[in-house]
Amino acid sequence: MTCKHLPRPDEEHREFREEADSLWRITLSPVTWVAHFLLSYIVVAVVCAKAPALLGTARIGLLVATLLALAVIVWLGLRAWRQWDWNNTGDYTNPVGEAEDRHQFLGHAAVLLALISAIGVIYGTLPVLMLESCR
Amino acid sequence: MSDTDQTAPIGPYPPTEAMLAEPVPSEEQARTKAELKAAWAPPRGWRYFTAVNNSEVGLWYALTAFGFMLLAGVLALVMRLQLAVPDNDLISADRFNQFFTMHGSAMMFLFAVPMFEAIAILILPAFLGGRDMPFPRLSAFGFWCFVIGGVFVMGSLLFDSAPTAGWFMYPPLATHDEGPGSDIWLLGLSFIEIASIAAAVELIVGALKCRPPGMRVNIMPLYVWYVLVVGGMILFAFPPLIAGDFLFELERSFDWPFFDPTRGGDPMLWQHLFWIFGHPEVYIVFLPSIAIAAMVVPTVARRPIVGYSWIVLSAVGTGFLSFGLWVHHMFTTGLPNLSLGFFSAASEAVVIPTGIQLFAFAATLIAGRVKTSLPMLWIAGALAIFTAGGLTGVMLAIAPFNWQVHDTYFIVAHLHYTLFGGMVFPVIAGVYYFYPFIRKKMLSERLGRWAFWLIFTGFNVTFLPMHLTGLLGMPRRVFTYSAEMGWGWLNMISTLGVFVIAAGFIVFVWDLLRPKGNQTQVPRNPWDAGTLEWSHDVPEEYWGARSIPHITSRYPLWDDDQLVTRMDAGRYYLPDSPHGHRETLVSSMIDASPELVQRVTGPTWITLLAAGFTGGAFIFPTFHMYPPAIVSGAFAVVCILWWLWTSTARLPEDEMRDAGLGLRLPTYASGPKAVGWWAVWITMLGDATAFASVVFGFFFYWTAKSDFPPEGALHATPALVGLAVAALVTSWALTLGARHWNRAGRVGVARAALAAAPMLTAGGCGALILSVQQLEPTSHVYPAILWALMIWVVAHALVGIIMQLYCLAGSLTGKLTPRFDADLWNSTLFWHFLCLTALVCGAIMGLAPKVL
Repeated sequence: MTCKHLPRPDEEHREFREEADSLWRITLSPVTWVAHFLLSYIVVAVVCAKAPALLGTARIGLLVATLLALAVIVWLGLRAWRQWDWNNTGDYTNPVGEAEDRHQFLGHAAVLLALISAIGVIYGTLPVLMLESCR
Repeated sequence: MSDTDQTAPIGPYPPTEAMLAEPVPSEEQARTKAELKAAWAPPRGWRYFTAVNNSEVGLWYALTAFGFMLLAGVLALVMRLQLAVPDNDLISADRFNQFFTMHGSAMMFLFAVPMFEAIAILILPAFLGGRDMPFPRLSAFGFWCFVIGGVFVMGSLLFDSAPTAGWFMYPPLATHDEGPGSDIWLLGLSFIEIASIAAAVELIVGALKCRPPGMRVNIMPLYVWYVLVVGGMILFAFPPLIAGDFLFELERSFDWPFFDPTRGGDPMLWQHLFWIFGHPEVYIVFLPSIAIAAMVVPTVARRPIVGYSWIVLSAVGTGFLSFGLWVHHMFTTGLPNLSLGFFSAASEAVVIPTGIQLFAFAATLIAGRVKTSLPMLWIAGALAIFTAGGLTGVMLAIAPFNWQVHDTYFIVAHLHYTLFGGMVFPVIAGVYYFYPFIRKKMLSERLGRWAFWLIFTGFNVTFLPMHLTGLLGMPRRVFTYSAEMGWGWLNMISTLGVFVIAAGFIVFVWDLLRPKGNQTQVPRNPWDAGTLEWSHDVPEEYWGARSIPHITSRYPLWDDDQLVTRMDAGRYYLPDSPHGHRETLVSSMIDASPELVQRVTGPTWITLLAAGFTGGAFIFPTFHMYPPAIVSGAFAVVCILWWLWTSTARLPEDEMRDAGLGLRLPTYASGPKAVGWWAVWITMLGDATAFASVVFGFFFYWTAKSDFPPEGALHATPALVGLAVAALVTSWALTLGARHWNRAGRVGVARAALAAAPMLTAGGCGALILSVQQLEPTSHVYPAILWALMIWVVAHALVGIIMQLYCLAGSLTGKLTPRFDADLWNSTLFWHFLCLTALVCGAIMGLAPKVL
């Protein structure tokens, strides 16, 4: 950095971007669950109403969507795991009002949300696996 | 942005220990204290009702909601008397219908949701060591709307004209209902729903932008997390219902057949829209109440909460998952079983986050040194009852079981277990816990125990047998039953139990309202709690916090024994008010570093007037009196414009202000740094959700109905639709351009754009109105929904015109300058959403007929 005499604005911007990213990131796994859930509901509603013959194809499509959703959630979860950094810090509660603890806390919350979202996606797939017709 | 330096804070932050340790000279303490006291002085005498301070408005809100709850409870008592013995004729079937409809509606819309808003408005600023909410007049406006709407809806009982179709108003029963009952429900409650959204906007902005310096997201009190989640849920849950009400009222008033299957409509659409609201709503009620438990439990256990992150997960996860449950109220409607499976699965999954927080509370209690207290007794009762309700919920999420007990008393038992355990008990715990903070007095320990055991016992005696009554086949909402059904003894037990509950509530109300003048002064922190609200002043002061502290931990009062003394001395931020203004501190969203000193509004009559006229605009249409409704609506607009013009985005006396501890902060912000911009953003998110719900309706008809659009139907004129969209998009571009030109100092160009834009908007509205003229909305649902989309866009475009003219007027009178341009930023933001709405509407009206 050449502009050493004016470090402040740049530093602030960077920090803000990082924070904003973290806050969005904690909702990304649940949003993936929402997308998967809505997709399942809409595909089944349209197929059962308009073209029941295509249900077999739709089920395969939805299972692929499940794998995709799980892959996204696992990826988000791993990123969050690294952000939490529990292996190195051993800090489970992050109770201090410092930037580092805030950063790790958001990672921890994102890990947990990824976990619950993955469970939600798996639950939402069970009907597709188990029911072979619209009825 | 080029001028960030101009609007950035100057000075040291965070404060060092040495800065905090330096004492404040006593004459300065006295001077700043007097300034602050004068700025926040409450209105006296008959002007008391002009107050907008959160401590007044929150208290009125809570008491009013509690009053409605007692009224709805009395309705329940009468219903239980009617059902006590078979073949009873105490009240007629029609009156019974009115009573159960109003019991459910009032408990949900006039008690549960408003009570959350009331408590949050009352205590959230205190959790944040703040002065007030960011928009005090908005809270007051919301409260007065709530009072007017609530009295109107409840008042209909006295004229024997209350709604009778049940609290979820299913068509065709509700659409064909004689008399004004259904209209009273639709318009009265829509009005209150809008007040709820206003409160949600206020609370979200308050929680995100008005935290004390240093209170990063990882050390916020858990209550604040819950408020954020619940505010977000309100934004996505209430708008579908408002969209549903909009369609429903068009059918009731003008016979547009949205829910009439003989003309292509479908009653199922209402069920979808209602329950997309209705299920999240259960969690909207539950989460903030359990949030009270999250504040009481650490105090009782005398240690920090165990699993802070897990509780955050629990709140956020429940918030999301609760939107995947709505069809579990519709398991018997004949949807494909595969679809039911998704909702059954989500209903089972939501139990996990819901359960996690209860385990975290239990773990905190096990790990701590528990000191029992009355609030904890109520929390314990809540957990016991809620767990029972949760277990029957798991049963009901299984579709085949649900088919068996659908619409029986089993459901009545289940929902009362969840709502008493999840809402009523924790809220009463909150009343006992926060009473010393709110009224600076204590409630009686002995009366509290009596109330608890009466309500707890009465509750179980009433509702436990109802599970069996339901399994034996008694349907809900029947006004009587014959003796040979064999339900008589169970109903008698329930009726006896309900009077025990009533006795408990009488004890509670007496304790709440009895005079306590001779009580000794309460200690400041009677429970030895660790969170900021217990730094309150005893006896009461109206300034919220003497000075706004710098926070570094989750339980500041436990961790920093100097904190309260320094707050009292005015050592921290904003200890004074040099211009006599009411001000509060605005901080950044994630790390809460101070950004701005925000001037907030004070006492006024305008909110009452605005609420009165808004009420007229909603209430007159109930009786098909449209001209007075329009006049009343116009006056409401004038009142709101006057309120905005005179008291928002005012030019500051000084651009920077000494905020204390050497920090100088700007006093004006526009765009994303301003709280007003965030309020517009959040409001428009809700509005966009409502529009999306109407669009969902269009595609719902397409999937569910083979005759949508019908053979040979007329369509909207594509050329006119295209013209309208082009005009609105150009108007949007001019508004955005005006913002850039104004910022760049080219004020003349900006004014020209702001003058041309409204004319384009008006032209666009005209073209859109003309494009549907050949369609007859009463003939079929297809023309009706095109008309509804047109009305939606035109109504929003009219608001857009008002905003453009408002900014133009601001620019001409010097209220809006290149530097002080918050109004233009907010209007542009509104126009971003309007532009998107116009594009979607254009695509549906102009292109969909070719594609479908």
